[in-house]
Amino acid sequence: MTQQSIRFTVNDTPAEVSVDPLRRLADVLREDLGLTGTKIGCNAGDCGACTVLVDGRQSCACLVPIGQAAGHAIVTVEGLVAKGQLSQLQQAFQDHGAAQCGICTPGMLMAASDLLAQTPSPSEQDVLDALGGVLCRCTGYRKIVDAVLSLGKTTAAPVSRNAVVGARLPKVDGLAKMTGAERYGADSWPADSLVLRAIRSPHHHARFGFGDFAALFAAHPGLVKILTAADIPGQNVFGIYPTGKDQPVFAEGYARFRGEAICALVGDAATIAAIRDDEVPVEWETLSPLQGVEAALSPHAAQLHETAKGNVLIEGRLARGDVDAAITKADIRLSDNFQTSFVEHAYIEPEAGYARRVGDRLEIFATTQTPYMDRDEVALIMGLRQEQIRIIPSAVGGGFGGKLDLSLQPMIGVAAWLLNRPVRCTYSRPESMASTTKRHPASIAITVAATKEGRLSAVRFHGDYNTGAYASWGPTVANRVPVHAMGPYHVPAVYCTTRAIYTNDTPAGAFRGFGVPQAAIALETMLDDLAEKLDLCPFEFRYLNALDKGSVTASGQRLDASVGLRACLDALRPQWERLRLEAADFNETSRHLRRGVGVGCGWYGIGNTSLPNPSIMRIGLKRDGCITLYSGALDIGQGSNTIMMQICADALGVPLSIIDLVTGDTDLTPDAGKTSASRQTFVSGAALRLAADDLRGQILRLANVGEPGRFALDGRTLRVSDGVTDQVIDLARLPAAGENGDVLVGEGRFDPPTTPLDADGQGIPYATYSFSAQLALVEVDIELGTTKVLRIAAAADVGKAINPTQVEGQLHGGVAQGLGLALMEEYIPGRTENLHDYLIPTIGDVPPIDTYIIEDEEPLGPFGAKGIGEPALVPTAPAILNAIRHATGARVTRVPATPDRLRAALRATGRYEAAK
Amino acid sequence: MYPFGYQRIDTPQALKAAQQRQRGEADKAVSYLAGGTTLLDLMKLGTLAPAEILDINGLAHDYGDISWADDELRLGALVRMSAAADHPRIRSDFPVIAQSLDLAASPQIRNMASLGGNVLQRTRCNYFRQTGWTACNKRQPGSGCAAMEGVNRKHAILGVSDHCIAAYPGDFGQALVALEARVDILGFHGTRTLPFHQLHLAPGSEPERETVLLPGELITGFHVPIGPWTRRSLYLKIRDRESYEFALVSAAVAMHLDDNVIRDVRIALGGVATKPWRAHEAEQQLIGRRPDLPAFEAASKVAFAAAVTRPGNRYKVDLGQQTLTRALLQLAEMEV
Ligand SMILES: Cc1cc2nc3c(=O)[nH]c(=O)nc-3n(C[C@H](O)[C@H](O)[C@H](O)COP(=O)(O)OP(=O)(O)OC[C@H]3O[C@@H](n4cnc5c(N)ncnc54)[C@H](O)[C@@H]3O)c2cc1C
Ligand code: SF4
Ligand code: FES
Ligand code: FES
Repeated sequence: MTQQSIRFTVNDTPAEVSVDPLRRLADVLREDLGLTGTKIGCNAGDCGACTVLVDGRQSCACLVPIGQAAGHAIVTVEGLVAKGQLSQLQQAFQDHGAAQCGICTPGMLMAASDLLAQTPSPSEQDVLDALGGVLCRCTGYRKIVDAVLSLGKTTAAPVSRNAVVGARLPKVDGLAKMTGAERYGADSWPADSLVLRAIRSPHHHARFGFGDFAALFAAHPGLVKILTAADIPGQNVFGIYPTGKDQPVFAEGYARFRGEAICALVGDAATIAAIRDDEVPVEWETLSPLQGVEAALSPHAAQLHETAKGNVLIEGRLARGDVDAAITKADIRLSDNFQTSFVEHAYIEPEAGYARRVGDRLEIFATTQTPYMDRDEVALIMGLRQEQIRIIPSAVGGGFGGKLDLSLQPMIGVAAWLLNRPVRCTYSRPESMASTTKRHPASIAITVAATKEGRLSAVRFHGDYNTGAYASWGPTVANRVPVHAMGPYHVPAVYCTTRAIYTNDTPAGAFRGFGVPQAAIALETMLDDLAEKLDLCPFEFRYLNALDKGSVTASGQRLDASVGLRACLDALRPQWERLRLEAADFNETSRHLRRGVGVGCGWYGIGNTSLPNPSIMRIGLKRDGCITLYSGALDIGQGSNTIMMQICADALGVPLSIIDLVTGDTDLTPDAGKTSASRQTFVSGAALRLAADDLRGQILRLANVGEPGRFALDGRTLRVSDGVTDQVIDLARLPAAGENGDVLVGEGRFDPPTTPLDADGQGIPYATYSFSAQLALVEVDIELGTTKVLRIAAAADVGKAINPTQVEGQLHGGVAQGLGLALMEEYIPGRTENLHDYLIPTIGDVPPIDTYIIEDEEPLGPFGAKGIGEPALVPTAPAILNAIRHATGARVTRVPATPDRLRAALRATGRYEAAK
Repeated sequence: MYPFGYQRIDTPQALKAAQQRQRGEADKAVSYLAGGTTLLDLMKLGTLAPAEILDINGLAHDYGDISWADDELRLGALVRMSAAADHPRIRSDFPVIAQSLDLAASPQIRNMASLGGNVLQRTRCNYFRQTGWTACNKRQPGSGCAAMEGVNRKHAILGVSDHCIAAYPGDFGQALVALEARVDILGFHGTRTLPFHQLHLAPGSEPERETVLLPGELITGFHVPIGPWTRRSLYLKIRDRESYEFALVSAAVAMHLDDNVIRDVRIALGGVATKPWRAHEAEQQLIGRRPDLPAFEAASKVAFAAAVTRPGNRYKVDLGQQTLTRALLQLAEMEV
């Protein structure tokens, strides 16, 4: 394509580029003009991350050919900052906590700018309409709506500038997310980088061999290298569990799922973009695929992995009491089966990063949730020592578990190492969706039994979880689910079994909840069945059976502290009663709309199941009197940077202004484990608390001052006092103790105390649990099968809200994902590898959410805190499904409850045909 | 991306020259580019690979206006979806047009996309869009149809053939077909005007032919007659989520109600058919009847009598009937 000279203005500045006129505006802004604030989430008009203003109107820069921009005025997020000041809109986003990971923020800001220019005091509906084309996976949108609406009003956001525990401190790393300056995986690369693109199996199951690459190289002089399994210097395998690594970086002649990488092209950007997949000479021999667990378990099924007989990767089990006897003896027993679908994380930032060789070391800058595991895994693949690998996490544009597994890191690592050139890679949206992990689809068979007084007597549960082609986090799911499947209730007799099954589907891995949300759908629906049969209020039925202080769980663990489920329910009860009455009133007069209110509860063990998962945190004191917090606890949008700063400032009693945050670089920070299982606040926060105590102790010892001593920092002057004597120390005179010029270094390590589970799943799998309960008010159109969620009330016992705004943010985000799980999300391998066939909730789908934060302090947690990330999501889908059932009588046993499925369920009730 | 040529067409003369050139190279795939929201998307996927692109946005002075005559609304092909949807008089006098546009796509795309491009958007059938699938008669004539036995929950049940069951995805097209719009087409030999319902073709044995447009022909605008039914009109769209999603089922309906008798009624169905679909038989059922539930239910049955379903989209018969009944009820209750 010939280049043309194209002129336009960007942020009021004339720009001229000489490029192919069909290149996309988004691409030119980012690559040629360095304006990486405009994000690319899909390149297809589906996500709105690329939203810019074209002549004042919001447009998708990914669908504008640059030739068309000629003569027009473009405004990007970088243009919103005037004279170094955030615009009011940006400030409102920052103050309201409207950005979590921040990858959608530029698009949101641009869409909102367009709206506000036309309608300075918009209504809520105006906001929903105007922002309807930008997807956000983190926030549940409500704080974004509030931020935009606040502009027309005088009421300020309830922010606190005080960095103490419990304060609504705005995100400490928020500004860069507002201005577009934040660097996500695709936003930074060395100038001389080559580009890498993986070639992937188009077949679910196939053998393959390569032809001669010579012709391809000859046709494309810019093609530098084709990487295959043969190029891997170390082991061509990765996986979460040290003993169960089963996934190759590049498949070796045998592809187990559609989307599996078989080789990768490396070369200059234009060449790599120009080569069509089908130009790469590959001979395929397709094999019949095992899709779904039923196929994989059939007696004639091929065995996909040598070690997994019958395609069973692993089994989990928990047994307590005599379940058969308890079921027989109970007054009532009910059974049913449930199905859930693959669910995609749909973070708006696809996998991206670059790698480069620095001497005998390899540096990888990439989006990840787990830098330390990445380091260790890449070292194995590279055949290098761990110290030779440096992982520099980029800002992460959403993870939710999907960025716990390796994706492009080993490919770019090997390429950069072998070629001794920096190599970058950004997954396309379909590539990201086809190749990275999903939530496990579950097939669940469940029996519940109770006494006529409404005491649960037994739960029998079996769940088959489709782990796809590789193990990934399958074992975690298999182990975690049996502990949680009976819900946060006292159940004397329990028998829970799970299996993770290999198939030829996309690998399933970690996704907010690790299998627990699927189990909760089954259990909580059955609880409503029991309540109905027993003629009990479903809410009070749960309350009666709820775990409480002193309860013993099904794994035999006595819960001595921090069991706030009943407190959650107490907080929700007034709404429950009011909404149930209002729904009944509404239904009296309504023709085709029925309202209903449902409740769901959840619990979630924080951290790994019976496995060590320590965090180490470090705090340094410098000669100039500044504190450095070395935090390996990666912030993926959930806000741990802010949480850690608050804990650090409060524990040391120093102002935020003297604390520098160094985060997540494996060379600079100690290992704080992975950002998963809602563990960072609890585990790393507790480690940080210990580090602060350690530093404080060292300061007191330095001054020879005993407890209770106090210290204050005033530049290089350190004053220490125990009330009797005062000591003044000049920090500048002290010798450096740490490698970073720190004179004192405090370190803390925390590993939550757990014990192994025995063969019956008995033991102490987690040190603490978070609890949550939610109500949903829905309106179902019984003729059309559509469901509108009108309101969610969400209560969660988080021990202590270090930052209430962030807890609310997690609740909102969890609710939105739970809503998607219940009503619209269904990933079908090979069919929904984009954000228009795979639907996630838009701003119009998420209703107002009331939040209730319960603080039943956890003695082991920092300031009493535990976690919130996953407990936020567990109750939502059950509450919605129960609300649908309350509204209509329709029981949904297969999610998502799309209009067609709901119509079928409505017909099955037999209630509505008469009206027809 | 492949080697495309790109040229801006800013005047009718330049257009004529381009059309002339194109006549000489009939086998060269030339595409007009308007908003680009379909074209660029499909080019990136490799589904479409035009050799040359003619950017017609420069013709907006000629074909970018909304205007009114005594008896009709005129919409230029380069009017943006949002401009038509936000137009106060279209909102009041042609609610079905405004709603069909408002409920489509996202605000950004509505700002970018043109009405001409909108009616020519291509099916969302995944097997058509993704070149990795080998069997698609529309993309590769004679290759078969993967959707028949594949995932076809969103596919059509009306106007289907043994060769293709892809649904026509647009919303605006149903409004046009219901209102008996006409479309202006400019070719090398001059202008022709067709009833809009003749623009699209059902798949038959040639699913690759979607419209009657000849190579090089340009849609320049639409005429929508004003009638006693246009104010009482609406668009009802059922989808899997609140915004930014294509219809599972939709209905564009308009009615002339006089003295509580249906004098005239127009029904078009979306999401269920292979082209913008007019339900003539259902309309016939209603004319002269009172606007009540039994009449609407009976008409809805008739509208789907010819449905041909697959297991994955069988639900569309029921959902389609419900949707149409609801649309008609709302229409009858509308204050005009
Ligand atoms: C994420 C997403 C969601 C969407 N959701 C919806 C939806 O819910 N409902 C809906 O109706 N649509 C939806 N669309 C489709 C969208 O409305 C169309 O892509 C758009 O209207 C096409 O208009 P355009 O001007 O961008 O066309 P272009 O992409 O420029 O052109 C489309 C086709 O028409 C041809 N063409 C364009 N103008 C003319 C002309 N004047 N004469 C002859 N040929 C011409 C082009 O050559 C091309 O083949 C969605 C699109 C996206 C990307
Ligand atoms: S339905 Fe039509 S477009 Fe879809 S695969 Fe079949 S032939 Fe192709
Ligand atoms: S990147 Fe443009 S809409 Fe997603
Ligand atoms: S904050 Fe919106 S996608 Fe992360």
